[in-house]
Amino acid sequence: MTRLRYLLILIALGVFAILPVFLSGNLLNAIIKMMISALFALAFTLAMGQAGMLSFGHAAYYGLGAFAAVHAMRFVEAGAFSFPTPLIPLAGAAVGFLFGLLFGWFATQRSGVYFSMVTLALAELLYTLAPTWNSLFGGESGISTIRGASWGISFGDDAHVYYLTLFWVTLATWCLWAFTRTPLGRLALALRDNEHRVRFLGFNTHMARTLIFALSCLFTGVAGALLAIATEAANYTAFSSKASADVVLQTFIGGAGTFFGPALGAASMTFFARVTSDLTRSWLLYQGLLFVLVMLFVPDGIGGLIAEHSKKVKKGGYKALVLPYLLCLVTGLLLLAGVVFLVESTHILLSDGYIAKTKSSGGAAVPFSFFGQDFNPRSWVTWSIPIGLLLAGAALMPAAMKVTGRAWLHATQSAPAQGETA
Amino acid sequence: MTAIAPAPTASAGSGSDVQIPSSPVLELRDLRKSFGETKIIRGVNLAVKRGERHALIGPNGAGKSTLFNLISGHYVPTSGEVVLNGKQIGGLQPHVINRLGLSRSFQITNLFPRLSVAENLRISVMGQHGYRFSMFRPVAGLTAVTAEVDQFLEKIRLTRRRDDNVGDLAYSEQRALEIGMSLATNPEILLLDEPTAGMSLEETAYMVELIRTVTEGKTLLVVEHDMSVVFGLCDQISVLVYGEVIATGEPAAVRNNPKVQEAYLGEEVAT
Amino acid sequence: MEYLVVSTLNGVVHGLLLFMVSAGLTLIFGMMGVLNFSHAWFYMLGAYIGFTCTRTIGFWPGIILAPLLVGALGVFVERYMLRRVHKYGHAHELLLTFGLAFIIEEVIKLFYGDFPVSYQMPSYMRFAAFTIFDTNYPFYRLFIGGVAGLIFVGLYLLLTRTRIGIIVRAATFRPTTVEALGHNLPVIFMGVFAAGAALAGLAGAVAGAFFPTSPNMATDFGTLVFVVTVVGGLGSVEGALIASLMIGLFISFSVGLNWALADLFGIVGLGPWAQAFGGILTLKLSTIANSMPFLLMLFILLVRPAGLMGDRQ
Ligand SMILES: Nc1ncnc2c1ncn2[C@@H]1O[C@H](COP(=O)(O)OP(=O)(O)OP(=O)(O)O)[C@@H](O)[C@H]1O
Ligand SMILES: [Mg+2]
Repeated sequence: MTRLRYLLILIALGVFAILPVFLSGNLLNAIIKMMISALFALAFTLAMGQAGMLSFGHAAYYGLGAFAAVHAMRFVEAGAFSFPTPLIPLAGAAVGFLFGLLFGWFATQRSGVYFSMVTLALAELLYTLAPTWNSLFGGESGISTIRGASWGISFGDDAHVYYLTLFWVTLATWCLWAFTRTPLGRLALALRDNEHRVRFLGFNTHMARTLIFALSCLFTGVAGALLAIATEAANYTAFSSKASADVVLQTFIGGAGTFFGPALGAASMTFFARVTSDLTRSWLLYQGLLFVLVMLFVPDGIGGLIAEHSKKVKKGGYKALVLPYLLCLVTGLLLLAGVVFLVESTHILLSDGYIAKTKSSGGAAVPFSFFGQDFNPRSWVTWSIPIGLLLAGAALMPAAMKVTGRAWLHATQSAPAQGETA
Repeated sequence: MTAIAPAPTASAGSGSDVQIPSSPVLELRDLRKSFGETKIIRGVNLAVKRGERHALIGPNGAGKSTLFNLISGHYVPTSGEVVLNGKQIGGLQPHVINRLGLSRSFQITNLFPRLSVAENLRISVMGQHGYRFSMFRPVAGLTAVTAEVDQFLEKIRLTRRRDDNVGDLAYSEQRALEIGMSLATNPEILLLDEPTAGMSLEETAYMVELIRTVTEGKTLLVVEHDMSVVFGLCDQISVLVYGEVIATGEPAAVRNNPKVQEAYLGEEVAT
Repeated sequence: MEYLVVSTLNGVVHGLLLFMVSAGLTLIFGMMGVLNFSHAWFYMLGAYIGFTCTRTIGFWPGIILAPLLVGALGVFVERYMLRRVHKYGHAHELLLTFGLAFIIEEVIKLFYGDFPVSYQMPSYMRFAAFTIFDTNYPFYRLFIGGVAGLIFVGLYLLLTRTRIGIIVRAATFRPTTVEALGHNLPVIFMGVFAAGAALAGLAGAVAGAFFPTSPNMATDFGTLVFVVTVVGGLGSVEGALIASLMIGLFISFSVGLNWALADLFGIVGLGPWAQAFGGILTLKLSTIANSMPFLLMLFILLVRPAGLMGDRQ
């Protein structure tokens, strides 16, 4: 099992290593962003998933890491000192760690919702302060810089940035993973479960939580620095509560209870945003729907779902699951198609261009085209399509859920017994 | 100094042949605690000598758990002193007090429910070995820690359940682990808050036996309601009523103390 | 003097607006402990419902319809969403309502566009209540203040004169005990959540007619409403009112003041050094007015986590 895992990791690394050969600049850029957000989520999970500290202000350390990197690069650019570009993430790490210690020392005096509120306040403080503080944060427009050449590499090419990011993300991920196996990493889990008891076992829990929080901020700072290197800029919006919330969302969609889940969640959500924002103006609506649905129906996230399957489904059990899952997929697609039809046609019908057209046509129905098809907005045939799709989906849903539930029992039946004997 | 090495001093049940002069390990001097206006602990004086097995009994709400919370650092005393080995510890942080050699268990089971039994114990043992914030070596490599964890598992008879989640244990197993965790920080004096609460007769007997063996050589302060446990396990008894100690002494003496009979033991002992 | 009076008036109205928006959250977050991030979006929804009504059935029907519709949405959200995820903890509540905020904002953009709409009060309400230092003071501001006052009195009576407050608070700690006492908890929770949402809707319909109604209006309040609830003390209506007024006055006064930390150093003769040091020392109070609420919240959380009027943590 573990050997299989190592093999998988090696294969994945190999694939990542040769990607730039096949991919264009734009896609490569998308993958860079995905890797960075994956690292951000992993670093966040160190505080949240492992030590139970729900930080609402992790964007603070992400932004600080980015600004640290930009300033370091500007110093190098100005010739103030020389520092190799590949090591710039260390600046982000240092600043992230220092501010993590400082802010964390305050925040960890509280726990639960109060901890979250302190972290939120600290991040919002930075967010509101940064645009007025020109010398440090470059005001509302932020600061930009350029990557210097070092070690004989120009860093002008996307592939160079890609490999730099890949290296740091891999290294940081390994560190984060190794950390979970150390005494402090195990202590983090105990703190998450029951901080009160840890105190009576001889541990200074305030110190422990501060340190763990700061370590999480360290890796967050690395992620921020990598972003700054990739974009050659940093802007105060990096501190926004939206950015803080994004990482929480991505982590939970990936599954905060697993190690790799958050990375998966972050990468896929970044990809989702990239793709859908090109396709539709309402992409945030779809994203919001996705968040709500995941929280309601997959509360343990993607990672949790995978872990559940690999733990519980018995040998050959997947066969029973294929058809029910297909049925679920069809149901989901029907509902999705209905929603997309309604949202996108509303977009078209309410757009200025369309309204102008109806005016000039003197009140006659103007067909609108959509997916290469013309539809008459005044005809019931048009609206029966989305409504039919939604009704069909809704009708299939109970059946799909029932069948899946039964198949799940089938696929896992012997699992509880196994658990008992283990 | 591992926890397993039995000190040559006390053999269970007899505090008379203690070699170290009977200086108290723990002493409470006019200890008081109020929550707002309500006085819960009203001037408690108590001495627990080395090697002693001391029971603290008293009706519900007498303030026994509150007293434990004061001693172990969970609450700050309103006034008075808690002295551990000659050092004033009242108001210190729980982790400092723990490192000075005092450990406690809880009346309501207080474990790490999502960790395995071995990992629960490992947290205790790890800190004892000085691996508190260490982050540059994997726990798997700490062989001394692992060995000690296994020894404690053996002692509390949970070796079989080593890798099970604590949340899945039976209640009596959780109670055993609760004691094991407190013990694993290798304290000089151990405070147990109602270790047999909520157990069946057999479970209670099993637990008493277990406590007797695992705490060999330790100083013990136990809160207990079950009189058979108290008389079977302890050689000193103090009676706490309404935040005051009304009697202290050997079981027989306390049993016959009219004040105690009136206030607490009543008919139970009169028979 | 003029500055003082005008700033005070503006600050009070701004504070009352803030109170109106946060009052519902005092119930939802303060008492039930539900991290409802979408609260400010409920407020925005109220404003757009009010706007739609002025275009169709009139201003006053809108003022009545907005809280009803948003309250109904609250019922749906509590009953079919939050209740399901409650057992997973705060993060799930937060994320669910965060998704909800996205949905509300995007649906509004879908139907009303990305730009502000012109939601206007009826013309007979558009007059100056009084004139002070040559500035006309609009009547509608007094109206907003009056509604905020009504909300305050209503909530205060509800929480002190009925047992709802005690039951809900007890229920968050000991749900089984309270249920054993014969209270129908799910219904009470749903009702309280709906009331909180309805209050946000009402605030939106009232305030939207005076302040700009745009898809951004929620984001401005998104985290500020939490500041008010936390600073005031979880579940304390008086606290929320005081905190709102404090923040309103703070902002309205600091906007006009050009103090900087460097001036403080000037008092002890370190002025030039501080000026040269720059950075945070020369930031004007007026430019960091927006940071003040968060500074206040931080201070409260660290020094008195129960908040101004909260009893205990
Ligand atoms: N934090 C607190 N604030 C206010 N009152 C408290 C607090 N802790 C305990 N009390 C009160 O102090 C009294 C003593 O409680 P304590 O738990 O110490 O009793 P006990 O002797 O351990 O009882 P039991 O046998 O039921 O465990 C009780 O009346 C309790 O209500
Ligand atoms: Mg007790």
